[in-house]
Amino acid sequence: MQKRPRYGLYAIVSLSVLISFFPIVWLILTSFKNTAGIYAWPPQYWPDPFTLDNYISIFTNSPELLRYILNSFIVGAGCTAITLMLGGLAAYALSRLRLRFAGMLMVGILAVSMFPPVSLLPSLFQNFLNLGLLNTYTGLILAHAGLFLPFSVWMLASYFATLPVEIEEAARMDGMGFVRIFLTIVLPLSWPGFVATGLIVFIFSWNEFPLSLVLMTQNAMRTAPVGISLYPGEYAFPWETISTATVLAIIPVLIITAIFQKQIVGGLTAGAGK
Amino acid sequence: MSRTMSLERRTALTGIGFVTPTVLIIALILIYPIIQSVVLSFGQSSIDGSQPYQFVGLKHYATLMGDGRFWNALGVTFTFTALSIPLELGLGIGLALLMNESFKGKGLARLAVLFPWALPTALNTLIWRWMYNSDYGLFNGVALQSGLVDRPINFLGDEVLAMGSMVVVAVWKTSSFMALIILAGLQSIPRDLFEAGRMDGMSKWQEFTQITLPLLKGPILVALIIRSMDALRTFELPFNLTDGGPVNATESLSLYAYKVIFDFLDFNFGAAVVVVQFLVIFAMSLIYVFALRNKD
Repeated sequence: MQKRPRYGLYAIVSLSVLISFFPIVWLILTSFKNTAGIYAWPPQYWPDPFTLDNYISIFTNSPELLRYILNSFIVGAGCTAITLMLGGLAAYALSRLRLRFAGMLMVGILAVSMFPPVSLLPSLFQNFLNLGLLNTYTGLILAHAGLFLPFSVWMLASYFATLPVEIEEAARMDGMGFVRIFLTIVLPLSWPGFVATGLIVFIFSWNEFPLSLVLMTQNAMRTAPVGISLYPGEYAFPWETISTATVLAIIPVLIITAIFQKQIVGGLTAGAGK
Repeated sequence: MSRTMSLERRTALTGIGFVTPTVLIIALILIYPIIQSVVLSFGQSSIDGSQPYQFVGLKHYATLMGDGRFWNALGVTFTFTALSIPLELGLGIGLALLMNESFKGKGLARLAVLFPWALPTALNTLIWRWMYNSDYGLFNGVALQSGLVDRPINFLGDEVLAMGSMVVVAVWKTSSFMALIILAGLQSIPRDLFEAGRMDGMSKWQEFTQITLPLLKGPILVALIIRSMDALRTFELPFNLTDGGPVNATESLSLYAYKVIFDFLDFNFGAAVVVVQFLVIFAMSLIYVFALRNKD
């Protein structure tokens, strides 16, 4: 019965893939057109002539676009490091150390993770302004860490729950301290959980918009999504530059998603199922 | 006995030590700002603190109640949520059923479907804005050349079309996320349930409505609530697609709050807007937590 060719199935699959992917293909095609090709009417479906000029021009004329991508990397890496380190410790304590208020804290953390980011803006902007944290990596890393710590605590806690307790108990019998147990036993055992959590948090941070928009007001400090969105300024939207910069800014996410698809999907569904 | 006591105490102290940094950051970045927003919304103050805070009671909330643009933004937000969520759910269930079949190239197909979700909304939106463009856009090119229309469609310039265009982007981006969560639920349904159904002579459709759907209630609920809370706070989608236009037809609550705060520089009134939005979403999150508790 399974041998019967399933053309219908393949047709629907192909259609879904096409719909999911064509905007990205269109973006990439646009980035290889020259200016006349981009503003041609009717639209050019295939770049004619095919040109790399937009890419060359970004590297030579618009270094700020590369700066945005660098900023995104710094903020994403910093935020990921903090959420993994602190979130890992917290998740371990909440799932293993039998804290009396653990259940309440987990629910509380889940509840605050649903706060709309825009409702944080008036206060965060004002406080960051007064503390000199506007336009600093430290500031935005801290803000992103706050946004995504709840997710990483939940996800890591659900990962720790899948590990056998016996090894840790044996280590305790041998008189090992919790910090050493965490570093020498739990971490090596749970690195897949940390990798999945770290990748998702990195993507979250890379994609985050409202806080990145408001807490980085200087052009040179903007992250990629914000910098590219605000790039046009007063002039007409320069699509040749925008499309090319967008391609560059989504490449890291495309690569991470492609390589770690399984981990990311597993992590997300586990996180949502809790 | 005293050794066990000290061990318990040490465990508790270590636990508190491990939890404290996380709780501190969450308190500083998420909790304190909400409290401060509430305080700001009841007063008059200046951003840099040069004017002392003056308590004005419910003044800003009274203004808000008579503010047509606020009600418009609330309506836009609810309309957007109500239109996009059912579409996302329907497509999400469809995609999940599809991805649950085994076929060649499944991994690749799943990846392609995942991409729209993984990319930054702000940049996704820019791509769509380019495709919607009424002068050079892909959609108008195809529609005009194929003779479907004889005049370019102004996707983002018409009040109804702009909302529709925004919903399409949201559905395109997030149906795959819905699908992922539902797919995880699908995969946890024991196979023999379907075999039993087949023994009873159930059709595919009966199988779906009588076995699959009831067992997917949990995952569907989770996906629905996560997504509706996301939709209720949508910001960069209208920010980049239409900037809230035409005539505020796509101005979401988040976008309106942002404009009040950073364009009109009215932090106190803006705080009142975000507090109301917060309450709407908090009510939703309570339902979420409650629903999850009942699930266990």
